[in-house]
Amino acid sequence: MIEVSNLVYEYPTQRALDGVSLRVAPQTITALVGPNGAGKTTLLRCLAALETPYDGQVTIEGLNTAASPREIHALLGYLPDFYGLYDELSVRRSLVHAARAHGIAPGAAGAACEKAASRVGLADRMETPAGQLSRGLRQRLAIAQSIVHEPKVLLLDEPAAGLDPQARRDLSALLVALKDGGMTLVVSSHILAELEDYCSEMIIIEGGRIAGGKAVKVRDIERPRYLLEIATARSDLKDFLTARAGLDVIEVDQHHALFTFTRNPSARAKLIRDLIAAGFEVSSFGESTKALEDAYFAQVAAP
Amino acid sequence: MNPEFQRNLWLELTPRRMVLMIVLLALAFLAVALAGGTDFTVGGAAQWLFYLIVVLWGTRNAATAVVGEIRDRTWDMQRLSSLTPGEMTWGKLFGSTSFNWFGGAICLAVLTFDTLTHKGVVAALADIVYYLAIGVIAQAASFLASLIAARRRQAHSRLDVFIYQVVGIAAAIAVNSVWSIADPATMHLAHVVGADVIAWWGMKLDARLFLLASLAVFAGWLLAGCYREMRLELQMRNGPSVWLAFLVFIGVYAAGFDAWLPKDKSVEGLDAVSLRLGLAVSVYASLTYLMVFLEPKDRVHYRWLGSQLSSARLGAFFGGLQAWMMAYVATLLCGAGLVAWIQLHHADTTHAMEIAAGLGFLTRDVSIFVLMRGVPGRRGDFAALGTLFALYVLAPVIVKGLGGESLSMLFYPQPTQPLWLGPLVAWAEGLTLAVLALSRASIRNSPAGRSQPSPAS
Repeated sequence: MIEVSNLVYEYPTQRALDGVSLRVAPQTITALVGPNGAGKTTLLRCLAALETPYDGQVTIEGLNTAASPREIHALLGYLPDFYGLYDELSVRRSLVHAARAHGIAPGAAGAACEKAASRVGLADRMETPAGQLSRGLRQRLAIAQSIVHEPKVLLLDEPAAGLDPQARRDLSALLVALKDGGMTLVVSSHILAELEDYCSEMIIIEGGRIAGGKAVKVRDIERPRYLLEIATARSDLKDFLTARAGLDVIEVDQHHALFTFTRNPSARAKLIRDLIAAGFEVSSFGESTKALEDAYFAQVAAP
Repeated sequence: MNPEFQRNLWLELTPRRMVLMIVLLALAFLAVALAGGTDFTVGGAAQWLFYLIVVLWGTRNAATAVVGEIRDRTWDMQRLSSLTPGEMTWGKLFGSTSFNWFGGAICLAVLTFDTLTHKGVVAALADIVYYLAIGVIAQAASFLASLIAARRRQAHSRLDVFIYQVVGIAAAIAVNSVWSIADPATMHLAHVVGADVIAWWGMKLDARLFLLASLAVFAGWLLAGCYREMRLELQMRNGPSVWLAFLVFIGVYAAGFDAWLPKDKSVEGLDAVSLRLGLAVSVYASLTYLMVFLEPKDRVHYRWLGSQLSSARLGAFFGGLQAWMMAYVATLLCGAGLVAWIQLHHADTTHAMEIAAGLGFLTRDVSIFVLMRGVPGRRGDFAALGTLFALYVLAPVIVKGLGGESLSMLFYPQPTQPLWLGPLVAWAEGLTLAVLALSRASIRNSPAGRSQPSPAS
């Protein structure tokens, strides 16, 4: 879906991207993480064909950003980290303008706007001027403008910045729904916690380069990571787990184990029953919620 | 309807604003009519109100059509739209000024009626073309200046917007001044003797027809310029051919006015070919200064141009040339031709040496603009302007005050003894600064440093 090859971008006094190469698979949500100033926003803008790189290539769906920028623009939705809205226009007019500007026919624009508004929870505020919306609602409107034309690729730069916990949860659900609907998403953030809920791949960018040289798979939706804790130490915990079909141990000691296993509830119930039957005093069993963070620090700690 | 035009209509042409405009204009015309003066008629008031609303205010709105979006952070969303550069250009140019044209249309109706009743149908039709042309040219010039400067990607201050607006107003003043040759009644700033015919390339042409055609052609070039700058904003590539075609056009157009040059000491003894080449060189040099001031002088782009040239990718190199570079080369080529012509055909070569020196100082000046562009924003350009002011005005005055008048050749073209000394000094300055500018642009950035990760979780 997205292929980047040896991308170099320079500002007058700084090289922001230094030979970045990466690949983003279709219908995934990829986290673009790294410290402030690492080059995340510049990379996103190059992916969106908003900046011309000094060297290297970006292709999206086989189209090169340098040769076919307008065709790329038609494929994309993009939410910048700092965005503006037309404050004097109502939500409806803002969305109608976005839809029409993205080539949706006048007759179909109304329905597209209603759909985008209901996806972000703005259907009941269609006549409210954008300038009167709260920060969270403005964020929703900006996202709705980005998706009103059903883009194949959605690029989001720090989309949860400034949102309250409920709004962040809503945003996570929306992004997962968009991915399930067929979109490919790249989400930039330096806050790992907000990405945990929905990202399956992670690209760590540091000093204008990809740490480790490639994307890291942090989560398999069908095979999540589970954390097991037992009350009494058992030296045979590792042997017990590795012997089980369909279970891959990541880390294990006498009290804890981190492994991947199927999401199937019956299989998980059977695993717990077998552990108890084998005399393991299971004190905790659950999906690991720090997959992204673990992967991040494992990657940046690598030489 | 063009969605960008429609969005602008939603914002600009609200019923409340339209009613307010109608009421204010009606009151203004009523006040003038009731005053009953002979010097200031309703038609005259309509003319001034047209200039105020369409030219003065309209250039402001045209100048902020894109830079206002950059300031309000809505421009990236617009750039990602599916609108073509043509749709975006006319949607923004005429959409952002739609309220001005609404008021302007009322004024134009009044003044056309006034002209119709006093001067007849032909004059009324000419008025309509003239006023529409001056409005479009002024607004398109401001819009074009703002688009050229938009590529700097900086915060555009009120001063910046004022500069773009001034470009449009200057274009309007130029149009008004030129039109006054055919119709002195439209000239409000000075007394001008009208002319029925215009001498151009030795031909005697009907002044009104020639000027109307010229206005239409220049309006077309301006709109083409806006379209091409919009293409760049939308990340599309432009080749050099259209700008080169414009340079050829403007050189040929300007060169035809040699008969209009004042017969004073500055051109004494020069033949028609020299005068025509001189006009072309002057126009090219002016364009070089204007474009080098407006265009971004990005050293990364200059380094990229160098890499394309060194790897013999000539198509990419020529495609990446900026307008000021092509205007500069045109000035040098045309200037060299003029110097050679004077040397071959005139006994007195003082003019040739002054022109050669002028080309050297032009090289120095554009190098100063490139060198001063090291700081972000427009400050570098204003620093360059300040430097040029010091070189052309302050330093010569100081040198003269100290009794060293002959040293003014260090700052601008002057007759010197021996004659070759002036060009030698000018080119020594120009080449020194050009080498400095090129070496500064070629400094490579070090690879991005690896910083410590500090993600909050």
